[in-house]
Parts: sequence; C-alpha cells; structure tokens
Amino acid sequence: MKIKQSIAVLTTFAIVCVALLCMPAIGQKNARLTDPEIASVAVTANQIDIEYAQIARKKSKNADVLKFAETMAKDHQSVIDQAVVLVTKLGVTPKDNATTKSFLAGATKTKAMLNSKKGNAFNKAYIDNEVAYHKAAINEVEKVLIPDATNSELKSLLQSALPLFKTHLEHAEMVQKEFNK
Amino acid sequence: MANTYSILKNSTYLLCLIFLLNSCTSTPEKPVHKVEKAIHKVYNVEIKQMQFQPAELTLQKGDTVVWTNRDIVTHDVTEEKNKLWTSGPFAPGQSWSLVVTESADYYCSIHVVMKGRLIVE
Repeated sequence: MKIKQSIAVLTTFAIVCVALLCMPAIGQKNARLTDPEIASVAVTANQIDIEYAQIARKKSKNADVLKFAETMAKDHQSVIDQAVVLVTKLGVTPKDNATTKSFLAGATKTKAMLNSKKGNAFNKAYIDNEVAYHKAAINEVEKVLIPDATNSELKSLLQSALPLFKTHLEHAEMVQKEFNK
Repeated sequence: MANTYSILKNSTYLLCLIFLLNSCTSTPEKPVHKVEKAIHKVYNVEIKQMQFQPAELTLQKGDTVVWTNRDIVTHDVTEEKNKLWTSGPFAPGQSWSLVVTESADYYCSIHVVMKGRLIVE
C-alpha cells in the first residue's frame, strides 16, 4: 500500500515538474511583442516582399506578374518609409525577435526556390507564394501586431497597412487564376 | 375748297386717333436671350482603406468629381474600358479632378481590384 502511495506521489511530482519545465516555453510563445519588436517584424516582412518582387522583375516576362511585382515593390517600400519615419520620431530602435527570425528563415528558402525556377513555372511559383505570404502577413498583423502594439501611432500605421495587404492578396489571387486555368 | 378742308380735317382726326391708339397699346417686349446657366456641382470621392468612397456616384453632365488620396500609398484614377482618361499617379494627400461628360467605370490601375463608377443622368 505504501509502495503504491509512493508511486502515486512520485508520478504526481514528475507531472508537476514536467509542467513547470514547460511553462516558460509556453509563456514565451504567448509573450506579447514589444513596440520595438513589432517595428522589426513590420519592416522585415515588407522588405522580404520587396526582395521577392525584385526576383520577379528579373525573371518574369509576364505583363501581369511584372505589374504586380512593381506594385509590391513600391507599396511595401512606402510602408517601410512610413515605419522608419515613425520609429525615428518615437525614438524606437527596431529589435530582432523570434518572429523576425522566422520570417527571414522562410524568406531564404523561398528565394532559393524562386531562383531555381524559370518561365511559367517561375510565374506560378512567385504568385502562389505571394498569395500564401500575404495570407500569413495579414494573419500576423491582424492577430499579433495590432493587438500587441501599445503606441497609438504604431497601431494606427498597422491598421492602415492592413487593407493594403488585403488588396494585395486580392490582386495576387486574381493573377493566380491566370496560371491555374 | 371746303371739300379739301374737310378731307384735311378728317385726315388729321384719323392720324390723331391712330396716334392715340398706338399710345394706348403696350410696347412689345424686346426679345430676351435667356442664357441657361446650369449649376454644376462638385462631388468629392475619398480614396481610403484601399476603396473609392463613395464607389458609385450619380451626377449630371458637366459636374466635377474631385478624388483625394487619403491612403498610405500612391493611387491613380483611370477609365477602365478604353483608358479614355487617367489621373496618372497621385501621392497620399494629393487630389485630382475631372469634369464628367459621360458615364464611366473606373479603377486604380496600380491596384486593379479597386473600382468605381460614375453614372451621368
């Protein structure tokens, strides 16, 4: 009986230990991003899409893809410019974080994939990625960046960028239909 | 002689009568060339949150529409079907106007999913 009780106590102790060990990781995952971290994510995410557009402008000959890539390069640069003006005004230095690193790691793989393709295969890969990337960016802005932002001007800039990204997604999906016929 | 005198007298009476009658009637109005000056209106369309607001306008021929860019990126306003007119790119904070002569569907040629309509009655 005593042995059984001891086993039960040890099991409970082990479960509690595992739970306690897991807590910091869970806490970290759910930690709110600070404004400097949000600024870093916003600038990085926009910069990545400019880099995808630069690849498209080099590799594609499709008028719709080129037009879309030109719009992405200009619009995302415009968002970066406004973010830089804002962080300069606020005296905030963008700070790298897990989300920024995750975006950058994904971008390295995607750029390698895009650079390995040619012709229509490239056009399809580029526009498919634009659809997926904008969906992910919209989700991040809507569910994480806007709720976490504490500075009202930063929050407002993110809120203004959201309809822009949604329009980009709609535009990308329109071009995508051309390659899915 | 008396007959001549009588004729002159009657003629004088007749002339006086004609003069009096003429005086009593109202003078005809001078023709007035009425210039129909239509009052043309000015309508404002704001470009914000990646939409033309309002997206549809019903107006009269000769009315003016002023588009103002309240977004964070450059836009344009372009007639969609035949590219009959376009504003060219205009930056945030800038405006562009058009005197409307016919109905048109228009769009932003930079963000092709943004669309608007002008209906001339």
